[in-house]
Amino acid sequence: MKSVVTTVVTAADAAGRFPSTSDLESVQGSLQRAAARLEAAEKLAGNIDAVAQEAYDACIRKYSYLNNAGEANSTDTFKAKCLRDIKHYMRLINYCLVVGGTGPLDEWGIAGQREVYRALNLPTAPYVEALSFARNRGCAPRDLSAQALTEYNALLDYVINSLS
Amino acid sequence: MLDAFSRAVVSADASTKCIGGDDLASLKGFIAEGNRRLDAVNAIASNASCMVSDAIAGMICENQGLIQAGGNCYPNRRMAACLRDGEIILRYVTYALLAGDASVLEDRCLNGLKETYSALGVPATSTARAVQIMKAQAAAHIKDQPSESFAGARLRKMGSIVTEDRCASLVAEASSYFDRVIAALS
Repeated sequence: MKSVVTTVVTAADAAGRFPSTSDLESVQGSLQRAAARLEAAEKLAGNIDAVAQEAYDACIRKYSYLNNAGEANSTDTFKAKCLRDIKHYMRLINYCLVVGGTGPLDEWGIAGQREVYRALNLPTAPYVEALSFARNRGCAPRDLSAQALTEYNALLDYVINSLS
Repeated sequence: MLDAFSRAVVSADASTKCIGGDDLASLKGFIAEGNRRLDAVNAIASNASCMVSDAIAGMICENQGLIQAGGNCYPNRRMAACLRDGEIILRYVTYALLAGDASVLEDRCLNGLKETYSALGVPATSTARAVQIMKAQAAAHIKDQPSESFAGARLRKMGSIVTEDRCASLVAEASSYFDRVIAALS
């Protein structure tokens, strides 16, 4: 799993040397930013059901045709699966906030995503809408601190980019 | 390769739950004590060559047969290989200490090490003894409490005491990585 520490260790190992001062310096840099990331991860973990539900509602509001018979949100099973998907992305964002890199999203969310949605005949625009809603919903300092919100929004932007 | 953070992620993903509460609390502790960890890594890295040569010399002192004809450290070539291996093992322990997780040590160093050594005829007990000496040295360097009676005029300290408990948790963590090496060899 890619993170600052694993990147540093991989580079040091490739050169066959002990961790140098500059290696330790870059780890120190990532630890300094980690407090804000963990704050965002904590808030997201505590509110993930509400966050996912709001984002899901927003995308169904915009693309109400999805409720029509035969569409992706037509039955209760489909609705539950749509909500689950949004929650799945939010959980991966929680992981990325903890790791401090996009490793979990890359490996478990984005790799193969396009192929899966194409095979299941799912539109990606509603996902973008749901995540964009979440992207613009967070507010500092009401929900979390400014730096934590920046880290959280950056990861949402990353997923939105991968889908569009 | 995993670090303390990605280890938490991988275990949370196995039960598809978010990371919050207790898991986050331990990671916050990791961050709060981050500077201690970096100092500990620096203490080992800065003294690495000294630690390795002392450990190998100590191992040989206790078993002179190693440097007599037929011994496993006998020609310079094999002695050099021995020093190199000591350094490699110490290097991977340092990586594990930096990452806060043993996966890099297990995957890149210990996996198949015992089989390689037995195929090459390297005595596991001697190797384990050298690792044991490095374990004691690492603890002394992290605590920054080198033995004055043994070091004598060559006594070397990293700095003044910063933490009350002399980084006891990091000493224990580093020791556990050395213990993994010893367990993998025996």
